[in-house]
Amino acid sequence: MSIKKYLTSAVALAMVGMASLVNAGEITHELGVTNVPDAPKRIIVLEFSFIDALASVGVSPVGIADDKKRDRVIPAYTDVIGNEWVSVGTRKTPSLEIMASLNPDLIIADKTRHSAVYEALSEIAPTIVLDSLSGNYPESVEQMSIIGKAIGKSEQMEARVAAHKATMKDYIAQMKNTGNYVAQFGVTNKTGLFLHSPVSYNGSLLELFGFKSNMVKTNGDTYDENYVETSLEQLSVVNPDILILGKYADPAHTDSWAEEPLFKQLTAVKNGNVYNITAHNWSRLRGMLAAELTAADLLEIMKKVK
Amino acid sequence: MRHLSLKYITLVVAMCASALLSLSIGPRQDVFLSDLLSAFATDELSINQSIIFDLRLPRTFVAILVGANLGLAGMILQAITRNPLASPSILGINQGAALGMTLGLVFPSIILLNLDFMAILGALIAGALTFSFANSAKNGFNSLRLILAGIAVGAFSYAMVRFTFILDDDLAREVIGWTSGNISASNWQDVKPLIVWTLLGIISSYLLAHKFNLLALGEAASQGLGANPKLIQFMGAVIAATLTAITVAVAGPVMFIGLVIPHFCRRFFGQDHRLLLPATMLAGALLMSLADIVAKLINFPYETPTGIICALIGAPYFLYQSLTVKGAKL
Amino acid sequence: MSQSVKQQNIRPQWQADLYVYFRSKSFVIQVVLFVLVIVASVWSLMVGAVSIPVQVTINTLFDLDGDQQKYIILRSRLPRVVLALMTGGALAISGAVIQAIIRNPLASPKIIGVNSGAALFACLMIILLPDIPASYLPLAACAGGILAALIIFFATFGRNLSGVHLALVGIAVGFICESGVDYILVALPTHELATPLVWLTGSFWGRSWTHVYAVWLPLCTMAAVGLTMAYRLDILHLGAETATGLGLNVQVQRLILLLIATLLASISVGVAGVLGFVGLMAPHIARRLVGGNHRLVLPASALVGMLLVVLADGAGRAIFPPIEISAGILTAIFGAPFFIYIMLTSSQE
Repeated sequence: MSIKKYLTSAVALAMVGMASLVNAGEITHELGVTNVPDAPKRIIVLEFSFIDALASVGVSPVGIADDKKRDRVIPAYTDVIGNEWVSVGTRKTPSLEIMASLNPDLIIADKTRHSAVYEALSEIAPTIVLDSLSGNYPESVEQMSIIGKAIGKSEQMEARVAAHKATMKDYIAQMKNTGNYVAQFGVTNKTGLFLHSPVSYNGSLLELFGFKSNMVKTNGDTYDENYVETSLEQLSVVNPDILILGKYADPAHTDSWAEEPLFKQLTAVKNGNVYNITAHNWSRLRGMLAAELTAADLLEIMKKVK
Repeated sequence: MRHLSLKYITLVVAMCASALLSLSIGPRQDVFLSDLLSAFATDELSINQSIIFDLRLPRTFVAILVGANLGLAGMILQAITRNPLASPSILGINQGAALGMTLGLVFPSIILLNLDFMAILGALIAGALTFSFANSAKNGFNSLRLILAGIAVGAFSYAMVRFTFILDDDLAREVIGWTSGNISASNWQDVKPLIVWTLLGIISSYLLAHKFNLLALGEAASQGLGANPKLIQFMGAVIAATLTAITVAVAGPVMFIGLVIPHFCRRFFGQDHRLLLPATMLAGALLMSLADIVAKLINFPYETPTGIICALIGAPYFLYQSLTVKGAKL
Repeated sequence: MSQSVKQQNIRPQWQADLYVYFRSKSFVIQVVLFVLVIVASVWSLMVGAVSIPVQVTINTLFDLDGDQQKYIILRSRLPRVVLALMTGGALAISGAVIQAIIRNPLASPKIIGVNSGAALFACLMIILLPDIPASYLPLAACAGGILAALIIFFATFGRNLSGVHLALVGIAVGFICESGVDYILVALPTHELATPLVWLTGSFWGRSWTHVYAVWLPLCTMAAVGLTMAYRLDILHLGAETATGLGLNVQVQRLILLLIATLLASISVGVAGVLGFVGLMAPHIARRLVGGNHRLVLPASALVGMLLVVLADGAGRAIFPPIEISAGILTAIFGAPFFIYIMLTSSQE
């Protein structure tokens, strides 16, 4: 497992930095500045990308907003953080009471979902708010550093981020000719197909690997412009060379297009370049480990591309 | 009479024009109506021909048929209740359909047959509840109570539907997708059953049209003229509920067409249901295809569910209607 | 004999009223209701994702020795209970006033469109001015509620419409606002945003003392004004013609009372979202308990409203922890059948 390799190297690097233990102190985040205790022990996270950050430096959260479905925290994370966390409910409306009963000393919340309850969260414990849901990939990596600082493991986190960047470079080097392809990722459920635009997390990741996109760029401040519901006709305008689908339903909405002449004439369909990946890993998870999983999937896809 | 035929011709022309306009609008701007014409001449469809023939044409058909069915359903409901406000959305039928689908999405294990059937079941149960509340043993059928019961049934269903919005993102997205009256994904499979049901609806309601006229004279008078009011009301209710349910299954709940159109048509075509019937269907189709054009353009190139547009058009008209309706008719 | 007559003449009317009131059956009922509200509030403090024994609850509330749960009781649940009491009472008074004004037992803030108007404006604010803190929601909601009420008022002004007809116009205005809310939810780029959706379902999730501070003064003032104006309702309730005969300027009275009812309902919607049917149920239950006199009905329905909302909020937390069921969903689930029951049994038809 590559993750173990990174961890050991990260720990080694952190040892060097141990001598001058940094004071976590004040953390600047989306909604202001929060004074965080040194090396918080009891951390609650309200988005999956924050688990990614904690797992990167081997810290286990005491509480996770896991939507009451523990298997949404994938084995790659549980291998590191264990299985001891308490579910604090859904990401949309996590239970403030359970959070309070866990006596946390740090809460990491999402800007889009939890801004409205920032005050209530701050009463429970020092809270930092980061833009996970509507942020893109470079932003998600920057957030890693903020979280690293907040949990008093800055050096370890920087080491992990550096290792991650090297891994991603490695993946990029392995994937050749990506610039020749227009690649598009979308999530499909029973009722529709939602394309992730270039400003979304997955869109920016595809861009990092050099793929082109045919979607019109939007400013990406809001969620829906990141995720655009798309009809078959609109898809034919985007007409990607590689179509990557994450299915949340079986049969999914896109399966109903299988017999449509227009669908068959899409470049990706005609050339057999439609690929299914695990929607959960791509769409719900964000962060370094998640990005590496995505990169591994992409590498597989590029090996098969005709 | 010549005056009347002129009105029919105007309606037909307007409907065809809006249907053609709707056909020529879409995210692909390189597709034209000429592609449709040439599509009939070739065996192998090009991409452009396929877009207009396989995607836009069935969608426009669905819009027209859904509009026509809802207009007809509204006319029948208003005829049998003698209440100018009776219509699928006011009587809670649409909202019941949405609740049926939502329950199916949240608890997949209770789905009978498929989601469409859940919608139809929800529509029928909501309609039956509303009508049974309006009928009381003590006072008989009460028109005002019908409206109030419908609004209560509708509000109840909608509160439940809204609840799912606070659950999972993906679930909320699916519920919204099913319940917002979205016809952008229509295909020929949707059109076929709609045509069959529409034809059945036309035939059966045309046969009843004269009886509806008698019913308008009042129950006692119609009985004197040889009609059985209870039977006519029951048959009318079944036809209207079926027509609504079938549109819900294809397009989701589309609000207010059944309310606005019959009222509007009565002003221009009089009270004779035999003349009203084609007029309400044509006007319903016209309104729905206009709404579809707006739905395509309002946030171009992205789409807005047509049902939402219909609600935005229909609700102010309902206000106008509620202000102008004569107290006696309530 | 003459002595006592004299005394009664000297004694102001309100004292005489109070004297009669304290000895009436309705007073006992009010006291019982009050006790029930207290019990329900304490119960609501105890239940939720973390259940807290009654002893600990009381210890925390009164700062006694022994186990305490400071955050959950004082910071999380107490503000919710206080808000539930205030919004429940406000909606109930609003409903009672509206039912008296349009002389229709089926009327309520929701039915005359005020709730939907408030909801629409609050949604608009979240969409158009996302940077404004959520504590300003009640202001936007008030604007919407008042606008809906104004539309209804001007549309019907001078037309001498029946109460039923007025309700119908209100329903139509409500539909317009609802379709606007639907458009915002579905078509605009926010349908995934948690804030408007959770709020719209009538939830007290995440409500804190900040929200209480923002609304307690206007709500309590309006409620007090509404309660003191109650005697006018009895006169208005006799019907527009009789009321004019008794020397009240009916249109002005209607306007003032309608304004108070609108504000009460709108502020409640602004802070807690749409709590459907509370304004309908509470006055009915109250009338069954204490009769038709509005000086008794208003306080009684305020108590019933408090009871309903506190129970709905507590039950919503207790059913599927840690997931909360919005109080508004529960009030609608019980309210809609109740509405139909009222309709079927209402003798006014």
